[in-house]
Amino acid sequence: MEAKKNVVLTLENVSKSFAKVETDEVTHALNCVDLTMHSGEFISLVGPSGCGKSTILRLIAGLITPTTGKVCVDGKEITEPSPERGMVFQKPTLFPWLTVRDNIGFSLKMQGKLKGNEDKVEHMIDVIGLQEFREDYPGQLSGGMAQRVALVRSLINEPDILLLDEPLGALDAFTRMNMQDEILKIWQKRGQLAIMVTHDVDEAIYMGTRVIVMDANPGRVVSDITIPEPFPRDRSSDSFVRYRNEILNKLHYGGKGQNA
Amino acid sequence: MASKDSKAAMPADTEKLTRQQLRELETKEKSKGQRILDRFIIALPFLCGLAAICEYCFIPNKSPNDNPYTYLGALIVLVLAYLCYGIFAAMKLRAGDKTVIEKYRYKAPLYAALFLLLAAYDYLTLKTGVLTQPFVPCMNYILNIAWIDRAYLLECTLHTLRLLFLGYFIGVAVGLVTGITCGYSEKARYWVNPIIKFLGPIPTATWIPIIMVVATSLFGGAVFIIALGSWFAVTVASMTGIQNVDKSFFEAAKTLGASERQLVFRVAIPHAMPSILQGCTQAMSSACTAIMVAEMMGVKAGLGWYMAWAKSWASYDKMFAALFMICIIFTVVTKVLDKIKRHVLRWQNGVVK
Ligand SMILES: Nc1ncnc2c1ncn2[C@@H]1O[C@H](COP(=O)(O)OP(=O)(O)OP(=O)(O)O)[C@@H](O)[C@H]1O
Ligand SMILES: [Mg+2]
Repeated sequence: MEAKKNVVLTLENVSKSFAKVETDEVTHALNCVDLTMHSGEFISLVGPSGCGKSTILRLIAGLITPTTGKVCVDGKEITEPSPERGMVFQKPTLFPWLTVRDNIGFSLKMQGKLKGNEDKVEHMIDVIGLQEFREDYPGQLSGGMAQRVALVRSLINEPDILLLDEPLGALDAFTRMNMQDEILKIWQKRGQLAIMVTHDVDEAIYMGTRVIVMDANPGRVVSDITIPEPFPRDRSSDSFVRYRNEILNKLHYGGKGQNA
Repeated sequence: MASKDSKAAMPADTEKLTRQQLRELETKEKSKGQRILDRFIIALPFLCGLAAICEYCFIPNKSPNDNPYTYLGALIVLVLAYLCYGIFAAMKLRAGDKTVIEKYRYKAPLYAALFLLLAAYDYLTLKTGVLTQPFVPCMNYILNIAWIDRAYLLECTLHTLRLLFLGYFIGVAVGLVTGITCGYSEKARYWVNPIIKFLGPIPTATWIPIIMVVATSLFGGAVFIIALGSWFAVTVASMTGIQNVDKSFFEAAKTLGASERQLVFRVAIPHAMPSILQGCTQAMSSACTAIMVAEMMGVKAGLGWYMAWAKSWASYDKMFAALFMICIIFTVVTKVLDKIKRHVLRWQNGVVK
């Protein structure tokens, strides 16, 4: 694999408001967010529903532009989406008219790089263990399989920044734990910057080197916790429980250590 | 007809299950009575064909019938064709392929009904005259006249086909361009929408008198009318199709590096394909209506014109011959469109089942 690229992602005083359709009001989805992130970090974003987690990811992806402030990669402002910043959505959004293989190769094809890189596609199919389904259409896949395909569809570009918007939200507990390890493995191998939104505090601590806690109305960062524990992490260790209590406290769920 | 063996036992090695075996495992085993019934149904069209032949040969005619062997020959050919198809299916079955015989069994009642219908029609026309003779001619008359007038009938058929496809393809091509552009671009929609709203509700036939006055060539005018109808159907269908594309697909494609152009051709159009093809089918039926009206009212060639012309000379047998020709053409065209649609949209299959 090519030499690792070090990137710095900065959000400088970013605010984002949306106009409401019915009334003349606006929703302040994000209010003055300042963040700096580096390659090699795995950042978990947690917070109540509607606090602007998805909005942050969409800003970084370049799908929307900030109302005020700047989102920059290595000092250069982001203006449009790019395969350098791969995004996995909450819904797999696989293209139903393409087979699994063509879905994974979609990005290469769009950039005119598919010729000569077919083995890369095959490799990705191997990574997620769907060799038998490579000619199937997404309608024939289970939810977990579809999410795995969506994951490698973005990974095939070897993005410097990987944006994951609740990629495991729709999966059952077992598939979910397997996928967590798989994502970690992929991230450890390349050491890119990964930013993952999650509803699950345990997942945030299990995977993140840094957990960013947000709150709503207006959407803002309330806490930024670094977790220097080595991988793989033990979900029942003392430090794990301590982190969980701390984060739940920040989320106003008291310190009893129950799941949010 | 062919022997149906007992159902295949569950293969020890489930890994190598074929689609056919899976179907057999999942459908209930047929009882003995059912299997006898199946055989009877498969033989039924053959029996009905024989009945139709007997009806034609042995019941005395009420009106004179020249050249009586044409219809008889046609019936025999149909029965033989059915028989050959059956033998082919039986051979396939011997070779282990059950799909052909299943399809054969599925269609058999329809074929039987067809033969019965032919017999009934012959009985009502030639044999009893319930349907008065020269006005509703019997099959034998129609076939005879079709054969005698074959050169001219063929010429008219070709003319109709040329007109139909020329108008249809022009309409569909232009309709795709406008529909897709309008579906994608707000600005284009601003200008085209009023045109659609204004022209849309007017039936195509309304244009014919105007075209006959204005157009320099009637052929060109007819092409225009047919194209207009098809254009309308395809434009509306592809526009709604493109507008309904899920925004999340565009977002996903953008983060995967798709350019604006690729968003249209690689995401919007494939996603809108079901709707676009629906529009194409609708366009064909509107084109078929338009062409008949055009040919009966103005254009001096083609099957529609042939029908109107035959009527004015009171040659009702010719009229019916043309009618059957039209039916055949439209059936074939619709069937082909359907095949194309099924092939293009095969990705939908898995979802539905
Ligand atoms: N396109 C949009 N138009 C209008 N309002 C929007 C839009 N996108 C987001 N919002 C608003 O911005 C706020 C933050 O939305 P966002 O999707 O970022 O929340 P979230 O933290 O991802 O929530 P969840 O955890 O439920 O996914 C919400 O109040 C939402 O209503
Ligand atoms: Mg969200």
